[in-house]
Amino acid sequence: MKFINKQDQINFRLMQGLAIGVVVMMIIMILLLVKQSLPVIELSGLSFLTTDWWNPIEEEFGALSFVYGTLVTSFLALLLASPFSIAVAVFITEILPDKVKPIISMLVEMIAAVPSIVFGLWGLFFLAPFVQTTLTPFLKSTLGFLPIFQGPSFGIGILTASMILAIMIIPTITSICREVFKTVPNLQKEAALGLGATRFEMIKLAILKPSFSGIMGAMVLGLGRALGETMAVAMVIGNQPSINFSLFAPGSTMASVIANEYAEADNDIHLSALCLVGLLLFVVTLIVNVSARTIVWRFGSNER
Amino acid sequence: MNYYKVQKLKSHLFIACLYCSAAFVLAPLIMVIVFLFYKGASSLNLDFFMNLPKPVGETGGGMKHAIIGTFYMVGLGSLIAVPLGIVCGIFLAEYGKGKIPNCLRMASDLLTGVPSIVIGIFAYTLIVVPLKGFSALAGGVALSLIILPIVIRSTEEILKLIPGHIREAGLALGLPRWKVIYFIIVKGNLPNIFTGVILAISRAAGETAPLLFTAFGNMYLSYSLTGPMASLPVQIYNYAISPFEDWQRQAWAGAFVLIILVLGLNIVSRLIVNRKQLFNKK
Amino acid sequence: MSENTPILTTNNINIWYDQFHAIKNISISYLPNSITAIIGPSGCGKSTYLRCLNRIHEEVPGARATGEVIYNGQNILDPNVDPVLIRRNIGMVFQKPNPFPAMSIFDNVIIGLKLQGVKQKSKLKEVVETCLKKAALWDEVKDILQRPGTSLSGGQQQRLCIARTLAVNPKIVLMDEPTSALDPIATGKIEELMQDLKKEYTVIIVTHNMQQAARISDYTSFFVLGDLIEHGTSSQIFTNPKEQKTEDYISGRFG
Repeated sequence: MKFINKQDQINFRLMQGLAIGVVVMMIIMILLLVKQSLPVIELSGLSFLTTDWWNPIEEEFGALSFVYGTLVTSFLALLLASPFSIAVAVFITEILPDKVKPIISMLVEMIAAVPSIVFGLWGLFFLAPFVQTTLTPFLKSTLGFLPIFQGPSFGIGILTASMILAIMIIPTITSICREVFKTVPNLQKEAALGLGATRFEMIKLAILKPSFSGIMGAMVLGLGRALGETMAVAMVIGNQPSINFSLFAPGSTMASVIANEYAEADNDIHLSALCLVGLLLFVVTLIVNVSARTIVWRFGSNER
Repeated sequence: MNYYKVQKLKSHLFIACLYCSAAFVLAPLIMVIVFLFYKGASSLNLDFFMNLPKPVGETGGGMKHAIIGTFYMVGLGSLIAVPLGIVCGIFLAEYGKGKIPNCLRMASDLLTGVPSIVIGIFAYTLIVVPLKGFSALAGGVALSLIILPIVIRSTEEILKLIPGHIREAGLALGLPRWKVIYFIIVKGNLPNIFTGVILAISRAAGETAPLLFTAFGNMYLSYSLTGPMASLPVQIYNYAISPFEDWQRQAWAGAFVLIILVLGLNIVSRLIVNRKQLFNKK
Repeated sequence: MSENTPILTTNNINIWYDQFHAIKNISISYLPNSITAIIGPSGCGKSTYLRCLNRIHEEVPGARATGEVIYNGQNILDPNVDPVLIRRNIGMVFQKPNPFPAMSIFDNVIIGLKLQGVKQKSKLKEVVETCLKKAALWDEVKDILQRPGTSLSGGQQQRLCIARTLAVNPKIVLMDEPTSALDPIATGKIEELMQDLKKEYTVIIVTHNMQQAARISDYTSFFVLGDLIEHGTSSQIFTNPKEQKTEDYISGRFG
């Protein structure tokens, strides 16, 4: 940029300096995180990712159970949340009268504003007992033949964590789906209705079908949110570093183990191991977010 | 004709399903709020705001230190991130092309997607390690990392909506560009920019994860920048997972205060936007 | 300065948008206290040319201009000249009325002076009154000066923009189709106003409306596709054009 006006030049340089500062800060933070993780990489190597034996006292670190816990809770949450999120997005854009729209959509957005810790508290004192006394017996009596619905339930566990996560990612998916639905031209809807389609058929043909990749993008973004969610999960998952195939069993996620152990970790190698878990989480969410953005962006540029 | 009936039935069923799922989605929100009122508001009293925690075993006591700590660290985080974020947002909106703006945009997007617990680790390596101890400063920095990308993004989006001819009109008056930017473009949109700022602050006020091992928490009143400091969310967490019933009761009261604070800020920011729109319509 | 010394002269102006050659070799002189209208079919580059006269064309990425625009003995297209100082002498009124949002009528008029550092309250008040009077808006708004500028009607907004431009005391006022977004009554008011402005300022106006050019201007330039076809007094251009193309255009056979 070239400036003849001195004041403009000073202003521009100052702004540019701050911008560079923010970027450099970001790079430094990532480098520090990598540097902190190095000792445990040297110690454990690949076995960090392939074993599930986590014993900080013996300095044995295998993070597989956390990766498993994170993936299972997040995908289960996505499975639970997606149908509801898409339905609510359709409901708000297509069914609700214009006057009620802002109220309902504000309420849905309000869910995203509720702090994670509050959901955790509610999950611990309301949802977990509900899962233990009502949901588990019901699932056992109907679907108990499946291995994922066997074993004892303590209320807290993978299922409860997934349910909380599902609630928390619904607003994310809903709001992106609504954006996507907005790009569907009115003409297509009217054309469908003009052919004598019912409302259901119109929504299926003119809204959901052309929005497919956009909806996928919204779901991946929701997944990204679920992967990193910490407090609510840490409070209801039980924090047990083991791999259990039963959804009733307690587990542990990458985020929750950091939340639980970081402040109390007293030797450097333990801290380093937790940093590596953090780095792993960072990389995974980064990949998920970038791919979500690519999907949504591609959708946007194709349709318009 | 029969087939048409089936079609219609399907359509009605589908719409009924939509109503049901909306109810299903909103139910947890309503339950959480009702639960908070029921359990939280009932355990709330003046002591909660005025007193410090009592030792284990004694009932009573409050979270004065945590409430002050939350305001202290959120304030500190805002002090760092809000001016920086607004300036960066202006930079992106006004000089948005080129390598440096693109890098900044990428860094800011990256930071938005980083899980809050990882933000905690960032602040830990950045502040706690060099200072060799948990501190309010580290907590403030962690919260500033939450606030920063939201403010950058919202400021940029708002300023980008301003049509180019407004800028040209300012320049045509013979004003240097920086004056046009700050005194015409930015000043005219301060309410909108503050909406984004308030949303970012409300988000930070409710965060627990980044504070767990940066500010850590304590049980007494502290104003020291370099000492550990309690915050409402961390205090709620510690009390909630404790086995003492009185502490759990206080966790509910704390959650009640926290949600009033967070949702209150949220609603305030929405009101600002609404008032602004009314103002323009007149 | 005598009546016949040009206040502004352009020599061999060429303007490109990236590869597109929008304005080709245009040279015109402008006499003080005159109104010059620039007419031509849409897309002929008349706005582009006008915008380079105070270097606001630089706001469009990829636009560049060569040649000379001489004002006060200085080539203002010289990259070492600060456009900020130029624009204080050569103001501009835009196609769409664009009062600054979230600013009162009062603030809209004085914002230019205020940001140049004039703080004296009484001086600012005086400027608001004289400029709004010059823009023939004073009687309509003198009781509502604190209302937002955007609350006025389109025609009033455009006159407010004229007052805003006059407040920084320019010598030349550029107008880029100032009435194209207005109804006939508002247009009439602005045309009337321009005859008053002529006494103090030099006005160069781009218009797509030939009748308007004939009504208000002393001189007229006719542009086609970036070329200056003809420049002369308006009476000559509209009654006895030298060029066939001009005749075709003003008689409606082309454009």
